[in-house]
Amino acid sequence: MTAISPSRRLNRSVQKYAVGYTFIAVPLLSLTVFLFIPMVVSLWWSLNDYSGLTAAKFVGLNNYIKLLTDDKIFAKSLVNTTVFVLLGMSIGPTLGLLTAMMLNQNVRFRSLFRTAYYLPVMTSLVVVSTIWVMLYNQNGLFNTILQNLGLHKVGWLSDPHVALISIAIASIWQGFGFETVIFLAALQSIPRELYEAAMIDGAGGWAQFRFITLPSLKPVILFVYIIGIIGSYQVFDQVFVMTSGGPVYSTTTIVYYLFDKFMDLRLGYASAIAYILFAILVVFSFLQMRLSRERA
Amino acid sequence: MAVHPKTFRYSSGRFILYLMLIVSSIMMIVPFYWSVSTSLKLEKFVFTNPPQWIPDPLTWVNYIHVLTRIPFLRYFANSVIVAVATTLGHVFFDTLAAYAFSKLKFPGRDRIFFIMLLALMVPFQVNLIPLYKIMATLHWTNTYLALIVPNLTSIFGIFLMRQFMLTIPNELLDAARIDGCSEFGVFRRVVVPLVLPGIATLIIFTFMGTWNDFLWPRIVTSSEKLFTLPVGLAQLQMKNTSNIAQIMAGTVLTALPMIIVFLFMQRQFIEGMTAGALKE
Repeated sequence: MTAISPSRRLNRSVQKYAVGYTFIAVPLLSLTVFLFIPMVVSLWWSLNDYSGLTAAKFVGLNNYIKLLTDDKIFAKSLVNTTVFVLLGMSIGPTLGLLTAMMLNQNVRFRSLFRTAYYLPVMTSLVVVSTIWVMLYNQNGLFNTILQNLGLHKVGWLSDPHVALISIAIASIWQGFGFETVIFLAALQSIPRELYEAAMIDGAGGWAQFRFITLPSLKPVILFVYIIGIIGSYQVFDQVFVMTSGGPVYSTTTIVYYLFDKFMDLRLGYASAIAYILFAILVVFSFLQMRLSRERA
Repeated sequence: MAVHPKTFRYSSGRFILYLMLIVSSIMMIVPFYWSVSTSLKLEKFVFTNPPQWIPDPLTWVNYIHVLTRIPFLRYFANSVIVAVATTLGHVFFDTLAAYAFSKLKFPGRDRIFFIMLLALMVPFQVNLIPLYKIMATLHWTNTYLALIVPNLTSIFGIFLMRQFMLTIPNELLDAARIDGCSEFGVFRRVVVPLVLPGIATLIIFTFMGTWNDFLWPRIVTSSEKLFTLPVGLAQLQMKNTSNIAQIMAGTVLTALPMIIVFLFMQRQFIEGMTAGALKE
C-alpha cells in the first residue's frame, strides 16, 4: 500500500488552491496597484506640502486644518455641494416615485413613456450639460419663453444666486429616470393581493399608499437615496462644462475644487480634500449599512 | 343619457394621468429635439424669437465643419477602442474572479472578498491623483494604456457576477468535474452559459460607464489624438462658445451612438439596471 506522503499532500492542496488564486489574480493585482497603493500614497500626500515637481515636505495635519478652518472657498464648496445634494434628493426620488406610480397604472404605451424618462440617464453628463448650457443661454430657449410671457430674463448660469439651482435642475432632469425605472420594477413586485385585501377592508387610495406601497418600497427607497447622495456629493462633470465653478465660486463643488487644486499642482492639498470627501461618504455608507441591517 | 358619475370620475382621472405623462415626456424629449434642431440651423438662426422649431433653411454645414475641421471621427474611434477593450476586460476578469469567489474554496477567500467590498466605498477621487502620477511615471499618459489598463476590472462587476453565480447549484459543477472537466472548463462550459443574462448586464454597465466617463480621460489625455468623445465635446464647448450650432452638431454625434444602442437593447438596459439595484 502506498501512503500519500505529506509533501505530496501539501503539493496537492497548493495545486487545488492555486486555481482559485489564479482566477482572482488580475483583479487583485489591479486593485492593489491602482487602488490600495494609491489610497495610501494619497493619505501620505495629504500630510505633505507636495507639488509633484519638488520633494514632498511633511506638514502634519496642516492641510486639513487649513481646509476646515481657513479656506473660505472650500467652506463654500462644502455648502454648495450640500445644497446641490439636498436639492437633488428632495426632488429627484419623489419625481421618480410619482412617475413610476403613474406608469404602474396600467397605461398604454408604457415602454414608450419609460424610454422618454430613461433617455437622459444613459446619455453622458457632458452631452446633457452642453445641451442645457444652450437652453440656459442669455438668449436661449428658456429666456425666449420667459420674454414672450412678459417676464424678465433670468441669468441662469451667470447669476450667482441662480447658477447652482440651474445645475441642480439639469441634473434632476438627467437622473430621475433612473429612480423611475427602479421604483417601477419594485412596484410591480408588490403582490396584488395586498391591495385587494386592503380594498375589502375599505382602505382608500391614500391609505393603500401609506400602509402598503411605502412600506414595501422601503428598502428600495433607502437604496435610491443612499446611491443618490453618494453620487451627488461627487458632482463634477456638470460644473466643469456649465460654469467652471463660477460665477464667484457659487457653483464650486468639492470635486471641482479638488480638480482645481490638482491643476494648480497642489497635490497634497488636493489629496486632503479627497480624504475629507471620503469621510463624508463613509458616514452615509455606514448609515446605509445600519439602516439596512435594521430591516433585516 | 347622463354619464354615470363613477365612469366620469374614472375617465377624467385617466385623462389627467395621460396628460401628466405626455407633458412630462415632452419635457424629457424637448432638450434632445432642440439640440438636433439647432445642429441643423445656420448659426444666425440659433437664437431667434420666436424660436425656430424647424430649421429653415436646413443645413448640414455644422456637421461638415465638426467632422472635417475637428477630429471628431478620431474621438469616436478612441471612444470605441477604450469602451470595447474595457468591456472585454471586465467580462473576462470579473466573471472569472466571481467564479472563484462564489464556487472555489481557498484560504482567505471570504476575507479578500470582504476587503474588496469595503474598497467599493472608496470614491475615485481618493486614488485619482497618485493614479495619475503612476501613469506619468510609466509614460502612459496620452496613450490608450492609461485609458484602459487601470479600468480593466471592477469590484462592482465581480460583485454583480457573484450574485448571479451563487444561484447555480454546486452539484452541477461537481458533475462536470467528475466528467474530467478542468476548473476553467467548468467555468467556460457550465457557468458562463448559465450567467449569460448577468454578462449582458455587465456589458451594458461597463460600456455605458466607459463611454460616458469624463474625469479620468480628461485628466490623463492632453493630446487631441487621444480624446474620447466627452472630452472632445467639452473641449469644443469651451473653445467655441460663440458657435452653438457647431457645438450641438458635436453633441448629437457624441450622444447618438449610445442612444441607438439603447433603443435597440432597451429591455436589457432596463433589466440590467433594475437587477443591479434590486439584487443588493
